[in-house]
Amino acid sequence: MSVHVGQFAEAAVRVERLTRTYGTGPQAVTALAGVDVTFHPGTFTAVMGPSGSGKSTLLQTAAGLDRATSGRVWVGATELTGLSETRLTKLRRDQIGFVFQAFNLVAALTVEENIVLPLRLSGARPDHAWLNHVIDRVGLRERLHHRPSALSGGQQQRVAIARALATRPEVIFCDEPTGALDTETAADVLTLLRAVVDEHRQTVVMVTHDPVAASYADRVLVLADGRIVRDLPQPGVDRIAEQLASLGRRRAVAA
Amino acid sequence: MTGLAWKMLRHRPGSALATLVALAAGVMILMAMGALVESGLRHRPPAPVRYAAADVVVAHRDITVSVKEFDGSVTRSSVRLPEGGTVPAELVDRIRALPGVATAAADDPVPVLLPAASTALTGHGWSSAALAPYRTVAGGAPTGDSQLAADRRLGLAPGQDVELLVAGTARTYRVSGVVDGPVAAVFFTDAHAATLSAHPGRVAAVGVVAAPGTDVAALAAAVRTVAGDAGATVYTGADRSTAENSAGSAAEEGARDLLIQAGGAFGGYVVLLIVFVVAATVGLSVRHRRRDLALLRAVAATPAQVRRMIMAEALLVGLAAVAVGGPAGILATRWVRDQLVGRGFVPAAFPVSQGQLAPVAAAAVITLVAVLSALIAARRVTAIRPVEALGEVAVEPPRSGTVRLVCGLAALAGAVSSGSFTLGAGGQAALAGAIGMLYLFVTAVGLLAPWINRTAATVLAPVLRTVWGTSGYLATANLRANARGMAVVLTALVLSVGLGGSVWFLQDNLERQTLAQSRDGLLAEHALLSPAGLPPGAVEEARRTPGVRAATAVRRTAVVVKFLDGAETVGAQAVDATDLAATMDLRVREGDLADLAAGTVAASSIRASTHGWDVGDRVEFWLGDGTPVQLTLVAIYDRGLGFGDITLTRDTVAGHTARDLDDEVLIRADGPADLAALAARHPGSTLVGTGGLTRRLADDLAVSAWLNKLLVGVMVGYAALAAANTMVIAALARRRELAVLRLAGVTRGQARRMVHAEQAGLLGVAVLLGAAIALATLAMVVNSATGEPVPYVPPLGWVTVVGGTALLALFTTVLPIGRLLRVPPIEHMGVKE
Repeated sequence: MSVHVGQFAEAAVRVERLTRTYGTGPQAVTALAGVDVTFHPGTFTAVMGPSGSGKSTLLQTAAGLDRATSGRVWVGATELTGLSETRLTKLRRDQIGFVFQAFNLVAALTVEENIVLPLRLSGARPDHAWLNHVIDRVGLRERLHHRPSALSGGQQQRVAIARALATRPEVIFCDEPTGALDTETAADVLTLLRAVVDEHRQTVVMVTHDPVAASYADRVLVLADGRIVRDLPQPGVDRIAEQLASLGRRRAVAA
Repeated sequence: MTGLAWKMLRHRPGSALATLVALAAGVMILMAMGALVESGLRHRPPAPVRYAAADVVVAHRDITVSVKEFDGSVTRSSVRLPEGGTVPAELVDRIRALPGVATAAADDPVPVLLPAASTALTGHGWSSAALAPYRTVAGGAPTGDSQLAADRRLGLAPGQDVELLVAGTARTYRVSGVVDGPVAAVFFTDAHAATLSAHPGRVAAVGVVAAPGTDVAALAAAVRTVAGDAGATVYTGADRSTAENSAGSAAEEGARDLLIQAGGAFGGYVVLLIVFVVAATVGLSVRHRRRDLALLRAVAATPAQVRRMIMAEALLVGLAAVAVGGPAGILATRWVRDQLVGRGFVPAAFPVSQGQLAPVAAAAVITLVAVLSALIAARRVTAIRPVEALGEVAVEPPRSGTVRLVCGLAALAGAVSSGSFTLGAGGQAALAGAIGMLYLFVTAVGLLAPWINRTAATVLAPVLRTVWGTSGYLATANLRANARGMAVVLTALVLSVGLGGSVWFLQDNLERQTLAQSRDGLLAEHALLSPAGLPPGAVEEARRTPGVRAATAVRRTAVVVKFLDGAETVGAQAVDATDLAATMDLRVREGDLADLAAGTVAASSIRASTHGWDVGDRVEFWLGDGTPVQLTLVAIYDRGLGFGDITLTRDTVAGHTARDLDDEVLIRADGPADLAALAARHPGSTLVGTGGLTRRLADDLAVSAWLNKLLVGVMVGYAALAAANTMVIAALARRRELAVLRLAGVTRGQARRMVHAEQAGLLGVAVLLGAAIALATLAMVVNSATGEPVPYVPPLGWVTVVGGTALLALFTTVLPIGRLLRVPPIEHMGVKE
């Protein structure tokens, strides 16, 4: 099943000379120092890098959660620069899915209500066939009427993935989706993300610091000091770990 | 949105319940308060009884004072005459000459006591019987000074002899006839009634019955032209009852004024308080959910949607509060009404009921304030960057609040300057200034609360560390970090303690001072009292009684004094000055009471300083019947609370009071005197020790203080409720923080001690500030009202303030946190917040 058709299908998300600076004056911290990258539809990209390298900032600015200091961002055919907060929200609601490390779900709502929340807020009529498919795919049929507090961490992340898929977005952004999970549950969640890309030609951009998690991706970007320092097609767990380690060593020497 | 809002509410029942309680209590208070004021405003004078048959009534019941304002406009305010004014008796003849007048009759009631039944009645001239009307059912009109016609309720028959106490003197009359009318009364001949009058040549009212077919409005206008020069007012229709001046209509009017005044004096503050509490509670409940709201924003909700959801929540809670608070308000209104009737503030016949306006207004105010404050809180929340949802902790960004700081400092400056103004001013102005100062101080504390909390945390750090060790150190850090969140608690507690302490204890001080003044100032040992009144000769009789050294007749009256842009009624005593120095000691500060004679007056120091009167000044005011007088001030005394603010001679007020009778005769005896015989000669009188006189005064004062205490109690209770709410919500939101601390190695005991230290710091500062404000206000007010420099605070008062605060801390923070601490910390660390 193809989600995207036409000429815009070539880039799900594109950023150009993206910079993001926090604070002003001498205390200013540069999180992104000019990043150019394109995420193609139907790909699974892992964004890696040491703490403070700007990987989360890249994800947040690319997803319209945070505004860039300069540079441009496109999601599908829409340019985010200059969009109002409401337009941005609508864009996120319709074209972007999110999976965070934790606190993904509204505790007051049941699993089912959480999954359809974006649809409900946009006032769109849910596509029941698709929703059923998603719910079966993430394996939550039995728990639809539970509240998030009754679910395990892995199950909560599956709910978050289901919610991200519910609107059939252009791209799903994940910020350390397995950060709070044990190895086995993490593998489960990553397999699900992989399947989403393979089966539905979804685009997934995932920030992680775990080489094993990154090994599920098609492409690994490594950031350091706000810049992309490596852009590798899936290199395998060992290569990734090696790259990260070398980055760490170089820093140690430099310091 | 409403569905989502409802689910959000259900998920946080504690917070929703806290808001609901605050809102429902607000609805209840506003409804009860509104019902009282509305009943007062809606009250129409009762249908005329005594003058029901008269189409037009001429009387003089109030005086209107007009004051030119700075801007040239004229403010008029009208004061009901305490003794009921009079009109010239010759007005009757002039009115009778007008075309269209069938009957014109003067009426001048005299108090009559039927000793056999000890029934208090009024006696009238026979011609006024037509104004009710009273119809003859047996016998006929009285024809001589010793005859009367009696209402059939008295059970008398024509030809029967009856002994009456008329104008304080026992007399025997023969019943000439029996009449049937609206209330029990007796009728003398017009000539005899005139001789009994307390104000010869003047009458209480003139009633006019129009000839059939006469236009009443035209007649009234004609009467007005005649009566106008006499300073009298013309009443027609329902207003006629105002002119009746009967005990019933006076009581109803008093009740009406009381309800409106109570509403006017406290209503504004109650509404402000409720608005403050509701806004704070709703705002807090929104702030505590930053993370949820940030998540909503991140995944799907536009800022407008989040705002709508929060407002829908507030609306739901508001409607629920109306549903709960409405019935509670009806019950509260009923309870307050019963209490007011039971304590004699309001006659039982006075309709106090839930009108339509008060409940609707209360519901609308509460719902509107809830929704608006939700909107304001929501606007702040929609500024949340959705990125916050990703973060570990959703901390509130520190806000500078320059506007708040500036406003707070301005209020503080205002409070201090009004304090210095109050110190300089005297009397009533000082009182008003002190109350203004109280509110400015509380406002300043409310605005400056975050800074006060932060400063207090810094200042208290060494103390808390010394007492509680590590826990104290943590407590200091928390106090500093939560300075803003706890602003509501500080404000509410300062308000409770400041307002409660000053207004409540002011009542105690006034009562205490009044009693002390009355006790210390009464040199006489005995008092002959008579509700029916004692004839002016009674005091002479007392003096002639062997063993009596001195006796003073006292007549309680009131005068009307111009004050600010209106006029107010001031309690006065009219005495015969002969033995004054031997029976009462007013503690004269300036001048000499020996100079008190006809044409002179003495005033209390508070009154004198209010109006800037000095000994030797010619002072102007109106006597109780509206007669303007200009008297020379001969003395200024301190014991105004115990004896009345104005002291005149009986001669000065003679003819200007409703009855020419004394209320009490103070008697000082050297040894055993046969006073019982004196009392026996005056039916209806009782002999009491002056201690008993003081006790009666105490009972009266306790009753009149009750309403003030009730209103203040409600405000204090509500402010405490607001503090409690905030503290419970804040305590329950600390789950995760406490878990983090315990995982970091803080033991359960240390965590508990930390909470104790925090509470001691926060509440200690609140109580100290509140008490300081209360004491400052109290000292100023007490000083201006009683002349005592040091206010009295009952020991129980201190216990209540400190104990109440401790209980508040225990139930709203210590116990809930104790429960949180019993759960293993790791359970609170999970994804659930």
